[in-house]
Amino acid sequence: MKLSIYRFNPETGEPPRMQDYDVAPAAGDKKLLDLLMRLRTADDSLSFRRSCREGICGSDAMNINGRNGLACLTALEGLKEPVVLRPLPGFPVIRDLIVDMTQFFAHYHSIKPWLIAEEPPPERERVQTPDERERLNGLYECILCACCSAFCPSYWWNPDKFIGPAGLLQAYRFIADSRDVATAERLDFLDDVYRLYRCRTIMNCTEVCPKGLSPSHAIERIRIALLKRSS
Amino acid sequence: MRLFSGQRAWLVQRVSALLILLLLLVGGVLLLFGPALDHARWHALATGVHVAPLIVLFFAALSAHAWVGMRDIVLDYIQPRALRLAVLSAIAVVLFAVMVRVLLTLAAHFATSL
Repeated sequence: MKLSIYRFNPETGEPPRMQDYDVAPAAGDKKLLDLLMRLRTADDSLSFRRSCREGICGSDAMNINGRNGLACLTALEGLKEPVVLRPLPGFPVIRDLIVDMTQFFAHYHSIKPWLIAEEPPPERERVQTPDERERLNGLYECILCACCSAFCPSYWWNPDKFIGPAGLLQAYRFIADSRDVATAERLDFLDDVYRLYRCRTIMNCTEVCPKGLSPSHAIERIRIALLKRSS
Repeated sequence: MRLFSGQRAWLVQRVSALLILLLLLVGGVLLLFGPALDHARWHALATGVHVAPLIVLFFAALSAHAWVGMRDIVLDYIQPRALRLAVLSAIAVVLFAVMVRVLLTLAAHFATSL
């Protein structure tokens, strides 16, 4: 199978280049990550992140044939050759397919991704009705792989100021949580021309999410919550 | 609502879009189902007491919509503050001039017809 992979090593001082590989998948190789692991046994200078290899850790996000995705969830079967692999677009490259996610996680931390509850913890858990719990579905499953933010033109233009779809999905996850008491404070923080309203409803985020989530829907819900509050 | 919240611009953009759509539909119906369109009919239509305020409203909505859209593009693509301010000012002047032109044209007509 033919691959063309983005290579960059800051230690050599050479500009980035695309390197061609031809590697035969073994019988058990089903996903792109299997092939990359096989490739690395032949070329151990090739760098990429991976961990759980089953779409839970979100570390092997990359641009596969022009579309962001997780190598571990991308089936080899049906992939157009040569498979062009690049690092997540818009993110600073550390080496080969490894990108610097510092800013991405800074945005994530800025939305206070934890439950804010003033009441002391009860003896058992903080209870929710089934309906209240239902509202968190489609939000809590995000694995922070950054496929969405790295596919969002608004995030490419303003990565330092726009929180991005992943951060906003997480923000809504806590706004929607019946146990959280800081909704007003969270909405105040988001009501900003850059943090939330840089989203132009392009919906690349929803299109590309490997977990099938819809950050654009969450962003719309935040806007509606803000509208309801001010009316 | 805070003065510089993103929500105000977002709301203005959506409300103005709906207004533009609605007024275009009204205009389309007026033109389609009226007699053949010549200059006299066009003139009579545009200066009618019912249509003239709608024309002002249409251009006001168009200017507001264009302002938010252009401002968004400028915020995305123009980073140097001085240049950003200059481009935003130029856009504001053009949109303001369009509004003034519409108002003056209609005012001139009504002044002569009184």
